[in-house]
Amino acid sequence: MSSDQAIREVVYRTCTALDAEDFDAFMALCAPDLDYRVTAFSPEIRKEMTWLDQDYDGMRALLDMVPQHLKRLGTLKRHVSIYFVEDDARAKTAAITSSFIVTHTDPEGRSQLFVAGTYFDEVDYSGDRPLLKKRKAHLETRDLGIGSHIPI
Amino acid sequence: MTARNAESWRTLPEVPETHVVSGAVYTDPAIFADEKKRVFERCWHLACHESELANPFDFRTFDYVGTPLIAIRGRDGVIRTFMNVCSHRGAKIIHEPAGNAERLTCFYHLWSYDDRGACVDIPRPEAYQSAGLSKDDCGLFEVRTETYLGLVFINLDDQASPVTEYIGEALEPFEASLGSGELEVFHYNRSILHANWKAWQETNLDLYHEWMHVLLRRTQMTAASMDSRVVKAFKHGHTMGSGLKAAYDKYKGMASRDSEMALPGLAPDDFFFVDLWPNAALLARGTAIRIDVVTPIDEKTMLVEWRGLGRKGDSPEVRRTRMKHHNQYWGPLGRNVPEDAFAAEACEAGFRNGAAVYQVLAREENGKGQDDGMMRAWYAEWARRMERSPADPQRSAAAK
Repeated sequence: MSSDQAIREVVYRTCTALDAEDFDAFMALCAPDLDYRVTAFSPEIRKEMTWLDQDYDGMRALLDMVPQHLKRLGTLKRHVSIYFVEDDARAKTAAITSSFIVTHTDPEGRSQLFVAGTYFDEVDYSGDRPLLKKRKAHLETRDLGIGSHIPI
Repeated sequence: MTARNAESWRTLPEVPETHVVSGAVYTDPAIFADEKKRVFERCWHLACHESELANPFDFRTFDYVGTPLIAIRGRDGVIRTFMNVCSHRGAKIIHEPAGNAERLTCFYHLWSYDDRGACVDIPRPEAYQSAGLSKDDCGLFEVRTETYLGLVFINLDDQASPVTEYIGEALEPFEASLGSGELEVFHYNRSILHANWKAWQETNLDLYHEWMHVLLRRTQMTAASMDSRVVKAFKHGHTMGSGLKAAYDKYKGMASRDSEMALPGLAPDDFFFVDLWPNAALLARGTAIRIDVVTPIDEKTMLVEWRGLGRKGDSPEVRRTRMKHHNQYWGPLGRNVPEDAFAAEACEAGFRNGAAVYQVLAREENGKGQDDGMMRAWYAEWARRMERSPADPQRSAAAK
């Protein structure tokens, strides 16, 4: 696998891991200095908001607790299109911009769009394998219905 | 103990009438129509926080039970609210949720209004002369607006008593924080939920449902004695739950909150809340305040708006932490509010087609613990305004 392909796969695999709620697999793709945020801009108050803000340990703890919570029924499925990959060969990082949509399928099998947005990712490939170091999932969708316990 | 048959399922339990609410209050379109007239067209409604209209000519638009409204801070600093509807052809004038404009100009024929609601410009006005119409006759419809503790309230009833009289002492716990003038909104989100609007307000009245939230089981239920809690009702149906504490470090991944970040008048581990009748809730968790407002769209659909307040002038680092504190619990990806939304829609699923017949509000703990007193007080005011018994709202109205 080319290094470019391996870098892109980090983005895709974080999504398939979250879709499957395989949180160990997701965390295995994350760098120890992970910075993961979910943001949205509110035109009502004209401010950027951060709805989720976790480092590695925080994300691990959050995901560990998910099974104990009363959460939205059904499944989420992320569809990602990578737009740009900007490589910084000196730092051995790559900045990746992707568009995503997440659909929700309820227990009766009905699917609806849940959220749409953009991933601004930074993948660190300085180690044995590329890892997600930073993600800003910027949401266009601001009405999340009953919300979600699982990061977007 | 055995399961019940159809007859016994539909028989009210033998508890006081004030301790039972019929499912019809959630499902009957006639009751909803009555609520619109007797409740939403008569009561003070929390429209926004003053920080959303910080500067002269700042505006916020919102729909209130189907009526498009616009709140704008005038050049004199006063916040006024108008129907956001052009006097000419009835078009909604301003479509942006917020902005700043010295003139409110209708897109359709460019009729313009100022910050006092006066019509200040009509293109080619001379054509109206022969009909006797001038811009002086064409101002916007002004809606009662009053600000209290930084909260902007509106009322569609021109004859309503002042908001301070309506609220009375209910917001005293928030006087030091909201009344400081130091707070601003840093979080806003809204959701359409598929349930009767009261199902959301009830999640803010019902202490007993702490059991649903693993977050609260861990951080709140044992952080202070149940006997230290106070459940209190005020005039006009407002209620308060106080005396609760939070041990945030009891939930994996959360840490205790820094006292330096506590808002004015609050301790970092404080938790208390006031529910303003009929449809608002203010909750304080030491370093952030949450404000919920629920507005019905129809009898089975509602709009919930959530605001988070912090201190003006927070540094970026402090604001980041405060936002995190707020959203860990109360954001759409938080550990608490999504579960309340789940519960509201689950109750809708039970009541909508008559499977569930009534709900029971019979916990009596002398105003302590997980007493249902707030729920009963809310429905007592509902009964007064609606002139119906919540236990049997259709028969009690028909009997009049």
